[in-house]
Amino acid sequence: MTGMAKPIVMDLERKPNIHLATQAKGEALRAALVALRSGTGLAAEYLDALPVPHRRVERWKHTPVAGFWSTYEAPQVQTVLAAGCEACPVPGLHAYRMVFVNGTFDPAASDLPVHNGVQCAPISMSDSPPREAGDLEATEWFAALNQAFAIEGMRLHIKKGVVLDRPLLVHHHTHGPNSANFLRHEITVEANAQVQLIHWSTADSQASGMVNIMTHIEAATGSHVALDKVQDEAGKLHHLAFEQINQAQSTQVRVHTGTIQGQWVRNDLNFRLDGEGCDSVLNGFFLPSGNEFVDNHTTVDHCAANCTSSEQYQGILYGSSSGVFNGKVFVRPNAQQTNAYQQNGNILVTDKSKINAKPELEIYADDVKCSHGCTIGQFDEEALFYARSRGISEAEAKAMLVNAFIGDVLDGFAVPEVRMELEHRLATKHGWDTWNDTLEAG
Amino acid sequence: MVNIKELQASIGDTPILKGLNLEIKPGEVHAIMGPNGAGKSTLASVLAGREHYAVKGGSVDFDGQDLLDMDATERARSGLFLAFQYPVEIPGVSNINFMRAAINGKREHQGLEPIKGKDFLSLVKEKSSLVELDGRLRNRSVNEGFSGGEKKRNEIFQMAMLEPRFAVLDETDSGLDIDALRIVASGVNAMRSPERSFLVITHYQRLLDYIVPDFVHVLVDGKIVMSGDKDLALKLEDKGYDWIKEETIA
Ligand SMILES: Nc1ncnc2c1ncn2[C@@H]1O[C@H](COP(=O)(O)OP(=O)(O)O)[C@@H](O)[C@H]1O
Ligand SMILES: [Mg+2]
Repeated sequence: MTGMAKPIVMDLERKPNIHLATQAKGEALRAALVALRSGTGLAAEYLDALPVPHRRVERWKHTPVAGFWSTYEAPQVQTVLAAGCEACPVPGLHAYRMVFVNGTFDPAASDLPVHNGVQCAPISMSDSPPREAGDLEATEWFAALNQAFAIEGMRLHIKKGVVLDRPLLVHHHTHGPNSANFLRHEITVEANAQVQLIHWSTADSQASGMVNIMTHIEAATGSHVALDKVQDEAGKLHHLAFEQINQAQSTQVRVHTGTIQGQWVRNDLNFRLDGEGCDSVLNGFFLPSGNEFVDNHTTVDHCAANCTSSEQYQGILYGSSSGVFNGKVFVRPNAQQTNAYQQNGNILVTDKSKINAKPELEIYADDVKCSHGCTIGQFDEEALFYARSRGISEAEAKAMLVNAFIGDVLDGFAVPEVRMELEHRLATKHGWDTWNDTLEAG
Repeated sequence: MVNIKELQASIGDTPILKGLNLEIKPGEVHAIMGPNGAGKSTLASVLAGREHYAVKGGSVDFDGQDLLDMDATERARSGLFLAFQYPVEIPGVSNINFMRAAINGKREHQGLEPIKGKDFLSLVKEKSSLVELDGRLRNRSVNEGFSGGEKKRNEIFQMAMLEPRFAVLDETDSGLDIDALRIVASGVNAMRSPERSFLVITHYQRLLDYIVPDFVHVLVDGKIVMSGDKDLALKLEDKGYDWIKEETIA
């Protein structure tokens, strides 16, 4: 780690696509962060080279970052643990826990696995050097920012053939204004090992600022990894979650993302299928309301033959909320017999809600099966009237349609207690008192 | 039981019902016949509370209550049932869940606890045998992938489950072969009682051989232009609707 961050130079030639005002704001944020804490420096070269995202950067075209800067004059980096958070956010769940409050590891709230063949520790307590920058840090300014400033996170290493006996829940909690929470999770799963992970993000109503989480998962031959992501943050946070998942031969990785609440959320989920016979599942739902914004950018990069990927993202947008779905699927020339499926469904509940949905398939192999579908619609008025004409209340009829719309995604979450808590939190947020009955009847 | 007075309704700016009068007493079966586009489905929809139609005048009294003042859910819970001309498919919602929610909605209205799982299942069994509804259809999504006949039988199954006081059947016979027609009609006949009334909308006389009505009305251009007993249906079958139009204009 280098002590001093490099001086900030504006190298316009290396940044052909910059927006000057945005760039200045980004650099100011960076300078403020440098003043607060010296960066690790590893990714500073990328920070220098990358444009601060703005509307003319393709991957940020529909993702409004302007609001981000205005809330962000004076970032705070919490070094002292303030208030703790609830012990386990999922009732009845028997899981290992690693808790970070405002980016700082909370040992009292955590319960780390102690297990032969499992190494699990916060980065601040582990001695190996941090992972080198990968593609994400090299291409995304916010990811490079994470690399430069994250000094905490989880390092998890599961040895060959080990099956972790309980899920491991990583809880990120944010409280108070102007947070700058950077976390990096570095996860290595050796051959034939298995682990279920939960990423749980919460925040209190006073929270503002940025949560920026980078997760790297290396899945070695024959390993199984499940990641259930739950985002339920009050307050006015900007939440950025980057995941890079690399799959070796015959691995299974399933990632489910449920966005219950969040003022501004950008998920950037990336799979690279490097070995043959991989199976990848990436499903998600998002139900923003008010003026919330939820963005899911996904990439599935099929680099090897005989792999399957299955993706389903379902959004229901209430109030004046807006969303983005961008699903890239690459099938490289040697990735024959690829089977790639992508589905994105959206319901705009009001005429003020918006979604920008874009599937992007680039297929360079000839013997493949790829399908994708994208729908944008409203609640089916005919179905609602039909249900009401049977004596079902409008609220319950809508809850039934919601359940029909996101039920498959909910059912895919790996940990049943997580699924139940998601249903509970959705019902609470949207005031569906009857929803749980509807689900139980099913 | 149901008293419709001078009912006027439109879609957008287009008037469809133009002053319709009809009184149905407990236990009676009334048939409404009429040419396509006369407004039969509109009448059914307005009675069931579809917001798409704007009521411009008139009143509907349902056992002393102002029907037009209730929303669709309340009307159903108060004992009104509409068998749809085109039953709606609801992918992802099982038939059985749908019916359970419907039954519990009605029970809530009556101040009763939700129905017990066991009681519900035996009720389903009893009522689906009434219309010979295949047991496998119960667990499928509402009407999804059902044949035309299965959809219509499902409507009658739902009616039998909900035991309404007043049922409107909108062209329940359309698209049915003779066997399905018999099954549907016997399901309806099994439910006839002195406390329950029916309004049977049909385009063809055929259904009325099986569900024998007490009164037959002819709806043309948003109004009832002629009423009679079941023989009127036979006369219509024989002579079509044109003579009525001529007669009523004359
Ligand atoms: N959604 C609609 N928008 C506009 N006009 C409609 C709509 N539905 C029905 N109509 C018109 O209303 C009139 C009555 O239709 P309907 O009640 O369905 O007749 P029936 O059931 O007697 O065949 C017809 O002229 C039809 O074209
Ligand atoms: Mg009709």
